[in-house]
Amino acid sequence: MIEAFGLNSLRELIAAIFMLAGLVFFIGSAIGMLRLPDFYSRIHASGNSETLGCMLSFIGLMIYEGPTLTAVKMAFAFLIVFMANPIGSHILGKAAYKSGHPVWTLESKGAKKLVGLEKQDHSADEPVGHIRQKEDK
Amino acid sequence: MEKQGVLNNKNIVGSSLVHKLAMFVVLFGFWMVLSGRTETKFIVYGLITALVTTWVTYPLLLVPNKDGSKQYFVFGVSIPKFIMYFFWLMWQLVLANIDVLLATTAQELDIDPKVVRFYFRADNPMASVVLANSITLTPGTVTINVTDDGLYEIHALTRGAAAGVLDGSMQKKVADLYGEKFDFAVAEGEE
Repeated sequence: MIEAFGLNSLRELIAAIFMLAGLVFFIGSAIGMLRLPDFYSRIHASGNSETLGCMLSFIGLMIYEGPTLTAVKMAFAFLIVFMANPIGSHILGKAAYKSGHPVWTLESKGAKKLVGLEKQDHSADEPVGHIRQKEDK
Repeated sequence: MEKQGVLNNKNIVGSSLVHKLAMFVVLFGFWMVLSGRTETKFIVYGLITALVTTWVTYPLLLVPNKDGSKQYFVFGVSIPKFIMYFFWLMWQLVLANIDVLLATTAQELDIDPKVVRFYFRADNPMASVVLANSITLTPGTVTINVTDDGLYEIHALTRGAAAGVLDGSMQKKVADLYGEKFDFAVAEGEE
C-alpha cells in the first residue's frame, strides 16, 4: 500500500510522517506571522513554532538516514538550533522592550474586533496586522 | 583583578580537574563524530585539538555569582538530571506548541497577549540562563527582560501560556536541576 506513495519501507513511511508533522508547525508559524497583531506576538510565531517544526523535520531525516554518523551530525545541528533559536527571540524581544515599543493587549484600540469579541467592520483595504496601540504611558 | 591559576582557584564549585577531563572527553567525542575516521593520524590530531581547546576555553566557561564569592562551571550540572529535564521540556514544548497553533489558526484569534512578571532568584547564574531560555523555547512565552535582582518579564501570547509560566512548575524543575533552593514569587499586580 505504501508503494503507491513512492515509499519503499516502513521506515520511510515513519520518516515521512515526522516530516509532514514538522511541516504542519512550519505552516502554522507562517500563518501566525501574518495574522498576529504586533511585534511581540509575531516573535512567538517566528521563533517558537519553528523549533518544534525543526525538531520533527530533523527526527524525520534521522529516521530516513538510519543509524549512521550522518544521523548523529543531524542531531547536533538540531541541538544547536534548539539552543540558539531562543537566544535570537529573546534579543529581539528585549531590544523592542527596552526601546519602549508598546505591548499590544486586549485593551488596545481595535483589539476586540480582531479576536472576535466585537463585530468585524474593518474595510478590505485595512490589513488587520496594522492595528496600532494607543500611546499610553 | 589579580591573576590566578585556575587549578589553585578555591572558589570554583566542584573539581576543576573533573570539569576539564569531562570537557576533554566530550570534545574528543565530538571530533570523532564529525570526522568519522579512525586512522591514527586523525585520532592524534583530535586528541591534540581537544586538549588545546579545553586548555584555552576552560577559564572562559567559569561564571561568577553575584557577589563573586563562587565561580560556577557552565556545564557543571548533573547529566542524568539534565537529560530528564530536557525530555520534560520537549514534552512541554509539544503541548504548548499545539496550544499556540490552535490559538493562531482559529477562525477568531484566541489570544490575550500581555506581559507577566515574576521573581526567581538563584545563586548559580546558569540557572537563570536555563530558565530564561526554557521559557523562550516554550511556545507562547518569550522572556523579554531579566534584571539583576531576579525579575523576569515574560510576554505571554495566550491565557494558558501566562498561567503556565506563573504556576512555577518550570521554575521548580530548574531549581532542582541546579540544586538551588526554590525562590519564586509572582510579582505584585499579577493575578
